[in-house]
Amino acid sequence: MAYQLYRNTTLGNSLQESLDELIQTQQITPQLALQVLLQFDKAINTALANRVRNRVNFRGSLNTYRFCDNVWTFVLNDVEFREVTDLVKVDKVKIVACDGKNTGSNAPE
Amino acid sequence: MASSANSNPVPKLYRSVIDDVINEVRELFLDEGVDEQVLMELRTLWENKLMQSKAVEGFHTEEQQALQAQQQQAQQVQQSQQQAQHPVILPPQQQAPQQQVIVQDQKIIQAVNATGMRFQPRGPQSMCDSPFVFVHQPATERSAAATAATLALPTGVGPYQQLITSQGQILQVVRAANGAQYIIQPQQQMVLQQQVLPQMQQGGVQAPVIQQVLAPLQGGIPQQTGVIIQPQQIVLAGNKVQQNAQVMQTATMQTATMQTATMQTQPGQVAAQLQVQAQPQPQQPQQQQAAQQQPVQQQPPMMLQVDGAGDTSSEEDEEEEDEYDEDEDEDKDKDGGEDGQVEEEPLNSGDDVSDEEDQELFDTENVVVCQYDKIHRSKNKWKFTLKDGIMNLNGRDYVFSKAIGDAEW
Repeated sequence: MAYQLYRNTTLGNSLQESLDELIQTQQITPQLALQVLLQFDKAINTALANRVRNRVNFRGSLNTYRFCDNVWTFVLNDVEFREVTDLVKVDKVKIVACDGKNTGSNAPE
Repeated sequence: MASSANSNPVPKLYRSVIDDVINEVRELFLDEGVDEQVLMELRTLWENKLMQSKAVEGFHTEEQQALQAQQQQAQQVQQSQQQAQHPVILPPQQQAPQQQVIVQDQKIIQAVNATGMRFQPRGPQSMCDSPFVFVHQPATERSAAATAATLALPTGVGPYQQLITSQGQILQVVRAANGAQYIIQPQQQMVLQQQVLPQMQQGGVQAPVIQQVLAPLQGGIPQQTGVIIQPQQIVLAGNKVQQNAQVMQTATMQTATMQTATMQTQPGQVAAQLQVQAQPQPQQPQQQQAAQQQPVQQQPPMMLQVDGAGDTSSEEDEEEEDEYDEDEDEDKDKDGGEDGQVEEEPLNSGDDVSDEEDQELFDTENVVVCQYDKIHRSKNKWKFTLKDGIMNLNGRDYVFSKAIGDAEW
């Protein structure tokens, strides 16, 4: 099973909201919505692994760190994200990272 | 066209993900017996939300712009319609939490500005449960209070209009010199009444009137609780009612206090405070809140003591605080009244390190969701090696296949 990590993104949240709306109007069942989300997990994991090819660097100061259930959660302050093209600065950012070692869950389709 | 795709891979990526998901799910939908149309609706909803979030640049470009233009127009039309209807619709929520006050008040203000005082005053019969009838019940005790308050407030101020909502609650709209419009909250008027009346006219009759008017008010004003206090200050400053010289001062002090209090606290607390103050000691209204910030607080016999026995922070705790505060009185005097600050402000709130609160109020929580390859630490130097991430920074979405970072803890 692919990480459900990406559900809390713009893409994932908009999908969940749309599914909720359809459930409320009873056009789909919650079970079906869950299946859709699982499919989304697979699709986004695959897409990120295969279709994205860019690097980002960042630097900042670490405010907090947490490692629990093999998930790292960081909060950084005054961070600069640098890509080749541009630079983005934020006062605070939260990074949530799951284990990237291939445990066999990211089976390409 | 190709250049835009290269510079920002996000829209393309998202579209491909959407396509993949929809195609994969089609079978599931058919298995469940769900119509294809629902699938299309899902896709449409999904894409619309993505566009609305503005997190993705150039998601649909032309379609996006056209749709956004249409949506904005539709929203504006809806908003203007809603604003006109709000003052009529709002009042029925008599038990709405007070925190909704601000929003609803703004809508009222907008409505006032937009519709130009279109509200029609309704006769006394149409007032549902609102007790706060100023002008419309002539032959009752309230008339004296109403007249007094009416006299006290608006004279000497510029254009002054009365809004009467469907419940008969009267909002006094004052256009102050600086051009801004304010709405005077009835509750605050109530407090003024307390100050005004005992000094102005027969005290014995007025006190019970105040109590009566106050008590039902507490539940009866959902949307008007201590939000806009500035007008009173302006009103009173310009008030030329001679007989209320003392009242003006106390009222001004009070409004200054209230203003500060409001700025420092939430409207619900102020309202609660007003209400609670009304209940226990309606007969000593003069310097209810002024005493909080003024040294007057230390003159117990004549003035209303707001702390100690009259502490409004919690009625239940009043008794306990009686004994407690007696011992602390000396300390308070020595401390220069540190603890005797404005009541609504939690004690020693300045000592709190509340970084998170302010940051939580931000609209965008910048989040990066990814996987880690390596996390390394040396003393307090951290190195991050991340991959396959989606970032939302400053409201915009970014993606990366690899990210390397440094931070110092």
